[in-house]
Amino acid sequence: VGFNADEAHNIVKECVDGVLGGEDYNQNNINQWTASIVEQSLTHLVKLGKAYKYIVTCAVVQKSAYGFHTASSCFWDTTSDGTCTIRWENRTMNCIVNVFAIAIVL
Amino acid sequence: MMMSDIAKDRAARSWKKRGSVSSLSSHEFQRREIHARTKDSMSTVSYLDEPSQRDDVSRLTVQMENTYQLGPFKHFPVVTVNHILKDVLTNYLQEEEYEPELCRQMTKMMSEVIKAQVKDLMIPRYKLIVIVHIGQLNSQSILIGSRCLWDPKSDTFSSYVFRNCSLFALANVYAVYLE
Repeated sequence: VGFNADEAHNIVKECVDGVLGGEDYNQNNINQWTASIVEQSLTHLVKLGKAYKYIVTCAVVQKSAYGFHTASSCFWDTTSDGTCTIRWENRTMNCIVNVFAIAIVL
Repeated sequence: MMMSDIAKDRAARSWKKRGSVSSLSSHEFQRREIHARTKDSMSTVSYLDEPSQRDDVSRLTVQMENTYQLGPFKHFPVVTVNHILKDVLTNYLQEEEYEPELCRQMTKMMSEVIKAQVKDLMIPRYKLIVIVHIGQLNSQSILIGSRCLWDPKSDTFSSYVFRNCSLFALANVYAVYLE
């Protein structure tokens, strides 16, 4: 058993493509975009019907010459919990989505 | 409990892959290195504590006895953790300038340090997720957001942003109660 990272990866990638595909970086819209990406991903993950709590994080960065680093460290049960990261980019921006899934013991 | 660490680097410069080697001491880990020529925008390294031989037993499903406990007796102390984040970020980054290698190591180290300090608080039955973002401070725009599907009565998060003249750092700690 354990978290199916591939399934989550596909689901989230579709959400990101749907929201950001074909768009250019726009200060006015990114608030709305990150909110939609995260909310749609959550809704689709819940539809899988598995007994997990989810944490979805999204970072959208304008493409520039400037550096950005992210790291995460997790204290959990590796047999049942898992994570998945989706990197997406286009001409004007980069997007990183992290999904963390923590099992609920029923 | 097993620990699993994930570190992602993005140096937004160009398109090809850059090799990266990083190390974390004091735990057995499995390293995946992506080697290629320089000038790339992304590299990924991830570490996982390998389960030792004697942990084979723990792989079998464990039936737990009913505790009849509906919620946490001791809640996650958000304010204390806010202070921890503030102290760690300020102490490690106050004097630092943004440098790709330094910040790569710094993100990984800081997420480990923060996790260790929060674990020391000994809040029972809470699982922790610590995320650290460090970026170069210039006139680019960045938005970081997150949503969580959990039980708001027992689960919570804590966050702190640090800025100095050349970089910014964001640390998030999510605490999830084990039901």
